[in-house]
Amino acid sequence: MLSRGRSCGCAFLLAVAALQLHAQEDMPAPGRGARGNVRAFLGLGPPPDAAAAARGEKLFNPNCEFCHGERARGASGPNLVRSQVVLDDEKGEAIGAVVAEGRPDKGMPAFPAFTKDQLYDLAEYLHMQVELVANRGSYKRLNIVTGNAQAGEAYFNGAGGCSACHSVAGDLAHIGGKFQPDQLQNQFVWPGGRGFGGGRGAAPAEKVTVTLPSGQSVTGTLRRIDDFNVSIRDSAGDYHSWPREAVRVQIEDRLAAHRQLLAKYTDADIHNLTAYLVTLK
Amino acid sequence: MRTHRLAVIVASFLAAAALSGQMLNPKALLKPPADSWPTYNGDYSGKRFSPLTQINSSNVGSLALAWFYRIMNVGPQRGVGNPDIKSTPLMVNGVLYFTIPDHTWAVDARTGEEIWHYGWQDKGGHLVGNRGLGMYGDWLYFLTPDCWFVSLNAKDGRERWRKKIADEKMQYFCTAAPLVVKNHVLVGVGGDAMDVQGFLESRDPETGDVQWRWNTTPHKGEPGAETWPDPDAMAHGGGMTWLPGTYDPELDLIYWGTGNPNPVFAGQGRKGANLWTASIVALHADTGKMAWYHQPSPHDTHDWDNVETPILIDGLYHGQPRKMLAQAARNGIYTLLDRTDGRSLVTKAFVGGNWMKGIDAEGQPIPDPAKQPTVDGSLVNTPGGGATNWPPPSFDPETGLFYVNAKEGYGLTYLTDDDPKPQGYGGGGGTGFSEPVLLALDYQTGGEKWKHVYPSGGFGNAFPGILTTAGKLLFTGDPSGNLVAYDPATGRILWHFRTGTMVSNGPSTYLLNGTQYVVVAAGDTLFAFKLVERPQ
Repeated sequence: MLSRGRSCGCAFLLAVAALQLHAQEDMPAPGRGARGNVRAFLGLGPPPDAAAAARGEKLFNPNCEFCHGERARGASGPNLVRSQVVLDDEKGEAIGAVVAEGRPDKGMPAFPAFTKDQLYDLAEYLHMQVELVANRGSYKRLNIVTGNAQAGEAYFNGAGGCSACHSVAGDLAHIGGKFQPDQLQNQFVWPGGRGFGGGRGAAPAEKVTVTLPSGQSVTGTLRRIDDFNVSIRDSAGDYHSWPREAVRVQIEDRLAAHRQLLAKYTDADIHNLTAYLVTLK
Repeated sequence: MRTHRLAVIVASFLAAAALSGQMLNPKALLKPPADSWPTYNGDYSGKRFSPLTQINSSNVGSLALAWFYRIMNVGPQRGVGNPDIKSTPLMVNGVLYFTIPDHTWAVDARTGEEIWHYGWQDKGGHLVGNRGLGMYGDWLYFLTPDCWFVSLNAKDGRERWRKKIADEKMQYFCTAAPLVVKNHVLVGVGGDAMDVQGFLESRDPETGDVQWRWNTTPHKGEPGAETWPDPDAMAHGGGMTWLPGTYDPELDLIYWGTGNPNPVFAGQGRKGANLWTASIVALHADTGKMAWYHQPSPHDTHDWDNVETPILIDGLYHGQPRKMLAQAARNGIYTLLDRTDGRSLVTKAFVGGNWMKGIDAEGQPIPDPAKQPTVDGSLVNTPGGGATNWPPPSFDPETGLFYVNAKEGYGLTYLTDDDPKPQGYGGGGGTGFSEPVLLALDYQTGGEKWKHVYPSGGFGNAFPGILTTAGKLLFTGDPSGNLVAYDPATGRILWHFRTGTMVSNGPSTYLLNGTQYVVVAAGDTLFAFKLVERPQ
């Protein structure tokens, strides 16, 4: 028998705001053995040379952007981010030849004045554009603070019910100065713990009470529970486990209010609340 | 003495029979799997329902480990770590054939002894998983992460030939199990990062050459082009074909699910329904010409690949016998179609659904523009990664229930590329909230017959598949590293075994020398179970 207690969410749990990455499956989570090397997982080869790419940008913009578009995404000339020549190139050997000699049959002029180093820099700029698209581990959130802070404050103290457990003068004091806005938003929508975060990262310890057939109860932190067994570590640090059919298990559910909000939030509620929390510098 | 000699002769005969060749009789592909498991789903229907009854609900309590095989010889895989077996082994003539990315093994299905191992050195591609092999006569087929189509001799694992399917430098990667249909080997591709075009190819089983190719997105002027803004968007529109489909020999149609469109989360550069991405398509087996399509996730912007197994059901629909196709998709939609013409019978959300405004006249969801990914985050009542994913579902014709491991919950999706011409993923999901469940759906309505809520969280996007049997059993894994047998009619738990890590493939079963085995993978280990004492 499993029941959830209903106590107040007293701590503002600071889960790491991991950008979840989908596709066929997730990319590996960082930091577990050989897992976590996103570029290796994606098979992207050697990383681009960032310094050369920065120099290359200064060459690309005045010379190439007119035809190949902003960030090489294509205009009258082809998109170079999805270009076979660029994707096959390693260190400028293929890209450099095309730039130096041009493609007269397709209307691309030659650029014979570029030095070998400049051709390398241009190639690395293009490889960086590929990197920023292909390596989804490198994506950055844009400005997510679009909400109305006043409406967020009203929600905090009213419909959201946040002020029942949290205080902007107490546990949330200066919270807006401690975190980036997207981290803040993630932390109140997905505060961590059971079910939150899709099993990523360390979930905070959950308090559990196990009642034995004798009526005696043991309290501790939950280690593991399935349909067959439950195991805990008690306050003295001792490990215990029982078959589920022999005991009653009660897990303290401090985040019930956060979970219930998921069914109630409008997108505007979330954005307004974020805009408000960001002001708590 | 005489009896002893006879025993030796009988034993020699049995051994000779077992060693008479690895050849797969093509007729084995046309019947429900019993003394073999000759294709990814066991048979062409995708039901993953076995007629075997030796292991059944009255004796499953004495089901015990027969052997296990642990991968010890490949080390950590690039960017992934410990090997994870996601393939469903083929079982043909007493030999199991299974894969992980870059590797194939043949193992004795009775003892777990390794017969041979084939290793591949990739030059790129994702090692996210490999779903297994196809077999034709004496030949095996598998796909490498860098999209080589490789044929091996089943006898010794020697390579016959290799053919290039797609370019890993364009960020294609291959994970699919090839599907053999008549003299066609059907191979699909994956690849989301660089906005490439999805396709399905039929290859010659003897030479590996292309017989036909079907592109997921149309070219200029072709039907479907009206659902894209311009030829460039179509050419870079995605729609990968990374899970094996199913096949109806009577209609001679293959059924395939297609992946999400590209750019993945950023739909502003591809306004329209984006056919034939995120669809179920019926193709003529000999030509690849499309017979019909149905699109469960029009203009997808949530990475909801619609590749999940399209299961073929022959049964009653409102009292009339009908040839149907059922799918539980990553977007949380259960679809039931008439598979002769693709006509919609049921469209019903089994998880979530606030991302759609309704259902159109063809039974296709109408996405709500307000619930597409936004720069500041848009909340959907479907967990990040979707309601389910590739792990195989099952249909039990005796209970009439469609079983799927799913996740209920919420996700926030963000747009990170707001350029009018976005590229790649262009966005992503937040961490999300999800609770894993095992659902039993009435195939005629999509309604929930029973639900098992797993007490611990932790389904990512790879989780256990499902097997049902005429022994009135449903086998699947839980998130906590147990293989569990349920009563498929009620969801009552009957048996379990702790595999230690979460079951990582779809369980399968076969009868070998009179003994029924259940085989399942958990991480780097294949486990085989049989009854402690064979019933008399």
